Amino acid sequence: MMYEGQMYEVRRNSGISIRRYIGISIGLLFCLMGFAQSKLTYELRMAATGEVELLDNFPASYAGEKVNISLYDGGKYEPLRYDEGRDTVDFIFAHPGEEDLSAWGDSIFCYSESEEVVWTVWRSKKEPKNRNQRVLVTNGRNTFEAYLHETAESHRSHGWIWFVFAGLMLAAGIAYACYVITERRKERGLTPVEQETLRRKRMGLRRHYFSQMYLWLLLIVLYAPIALIAVFSFTKSKVLGNWTGFSLDLYANLFTGQADAGLNSAIWYTVIIALIAAVSSTILGTLAAIGIYNMRSRQRKVVSFLNSVPMINPDIITGISLFLLFVALGFSQGLATVCIAHVVFCTPYVVLSVLPRLSRMNPNTYEAALDLGATPGQALRMVMLPELWPGMISGFILALTLSVDDFGVTFFTKGSGGLETLSTFIYSDARKGGLTPELRPLFTLILLVMLTVLIYINIRNSKQRKN
Amino acid sequence: MSRVIQIFSSRRTWAWPYVLFMALFVVLPLILVAVYAFTDIDGHFTIRNFAKFFTHSEAIQTFLYSVMIAVFNTAICLLIGYPAAYIMAQEDFRTPKVMAMLFILPMWINFLLRTVATVELFNMCGLPLGEGALLFGLCYDYLPFMIYPIYNTLQKMDNSLVEAAQDLGANRWTCFWKIIVPLSMPGVYSGIVMVFMPTVSTFAIAELLTHNNIKLFGSLIQDYITTTDLLNYGAVLSLVLLIIIGLTSFFGDNNSEGEKGGMI
Repeated sequence: MMYEGQMYEVRRNSGISIRRYIGISIGLLFCLMGFAQSKLTYELRMAATGEVELLDNFPASYAGEKVNISLYDGGKYEPLRYDEGRDTVDFIFAHPGEEDLSAWGDSIFCYSESEEVVWTVWRSKKEPKNRNQRVLVTNGRNTFEAYLHETAESHRSHGWIWFVFAGLMLAAGIAYACYVITERRKERGLTPVEQETLRRKRMGLRRHYFSQMYLWLLLIVLYAPIALIAVFSFTKSKVLGNWTGFSLDLYANLFTGQADAGLNSAIWYTVIIALIAAVSSTILGTLAAIGIYNMRSRQRKVVSFLNSVPMINPDIITGISLFLLFVALGFSQGLATVCIAHVVFCTPYVVLSVLPRLSRMNPNTYEAALDLGATPGQALRMVMLPELWPGMISGFILALTLSVDDFGVTFFTKGSGGLETLSTFIYSDARKGGLTPELRPLFTLILLVMLTVLIYINIRNSKQRKN
Repeated sequence: MSRVIQIFSSRRTWAWPYVLFMALFVVLPLILVAVYAFTDIDGHFTIRNFAKFFTHSEAIQTFLYSVMIAVFNTAICLLIGYPAAYIMAQEDFRTPKVMAMLFILPMWINFLLRTVATVELFNMCGLPLGEGALLFGLCYDYLPFMIYPIYNTLQKMDNSLVEAAQDLGANRWTCFWKIIVPLSMPGVYSGIVMVFMPTVSTFAIAELLTHNNIKLFGSLIQDYITTTDLLNYGAVLSLVLLIIIGLTSFFGDNNSEGEKGGMI
């Protein structure tokens, strides 16, 4: 015979004992993954920079050309595949005798950086047998023979990251098991009622800790790439993910303007475009909001719908449609077209942030000002603007953010005149297979500034709440 | 002069410049997309571009694949984001906004740079770049768009309804499914719209995350539209995308645009 209570007891016990091992088993899983990873990829990537020895003069305009590269073995290697129409070229090497092409490198990224040629061999699964590889470079007209040197930029696999995960998970599992055991000990010698209250309390706490842990885990994942950027902003290496010792050179380069010229102009263009777009969309949007607010309901609906179209449209559609417009009208694309495009997608947000201020304001004050002899301009300046100011400011900031962040629209409207904003600069940089190193300190600083603003606002808010 | 003043003292007219601007730079370009889709290079009317789309298996496949990826990404974002928003709305933090702000803060870093860093992270962990990386990167980029609207609706929710349900004997689970989930649906809808629409039209992220091995519809459009003689075909593809976007926003919640503004 079993009591009901007893059954309950049994079931709960078994549940807890399973849970106790979840943490540990996940830890073990991560450990296994660590081992597996470290075995699979002991050489992840080899980036070799500079020193390409050539038989002939190397073409200066290398980046735009279609180029074949093949491992040199008496000219018997042939390239399997490469993408045309890109300024960087992917290659897979074919060897007539070998089946497995990924023997040491399954693709090569190459681009020219000033006069030196940078080769990045992606994801080689095995260590290259010969570190000073001889390669053939052809661009259709000429064939060059070159040596591929490994330099300090190459680095080994990071399988240890999995061990860190595994260690953390194991520690968490063991800590949890210990916690459960000690809690069980506490229960001994208590009356059932006391045990139950203790359990309830513990369940609440556990729920709290689990949900907290979930949030923090999510945040860790969310911030991991950003942390990577921030950490590697303090080293000089060209390749992200390659630590060559602590240095503040990148920050110094950023501030003394010694960074890449393209980056400097991209920063300036971004700032200029954002300011122009934000100022003009704030003016246009505020006027529009006042107009919309005073419209009859049917007109208002139409204009509001019109206002929501650029917000619904994804960047690529806005960008392409404007691109087609500029093509059809024969506009030459450049700074002006980018600014117009930015005003297009910023203004709706300004309108939306000014409208609530209008509905909160007394509609009669403006009329009263007119009746008392103010011109519409005066009434606008002295009566309406002070009321609308907060909405305009938030609209302005919103427009600034959207403009700085935009990629899709800028990409299609910037034309081919060499105008780059930060987003498009990063894009073309990333396509070449490497990032300009100075981007790392730049965005670390932006993040820090935003973090400071956030903390400042929070402190101010909590102080206000106390008062 | 007095007449001019009279016109401008009617404040309704102040929206005219904006309406004009919008007509020229929003409505006209969208019409132009349709016009280009129905013409050939010389400007003659043709439906050959559409016929090409329906027989072009690469385009159709890419299109279906992109929609699938977008659906998956939206589902993953919802599965991960809903609990997070729920926890944040439930917990009585002393400074409740901090967590929500922490989730939005990464958006201040350029998303392309974050994507490149994600690629680097995958390289460091020895994980292959491919579909998995693509989904991770997309989810990583758009998760805040899912969390924020849900968090907003959950926070504004009247808590007395939950208390009433509990008083009437509902357990936590019933209470969650019968009260909280239905009440948070507006937030979920706008979250879905805000994640689905950019994912289905994304073009740079996929390219970076897979080393251009996986092509999404956005990249395809970009390829065609930037090639001069295939511009009209690119317009057809954009029109297809536009229809999808229109359908989504029609079935979705209208609040989503406002939410995006609220986030920043």
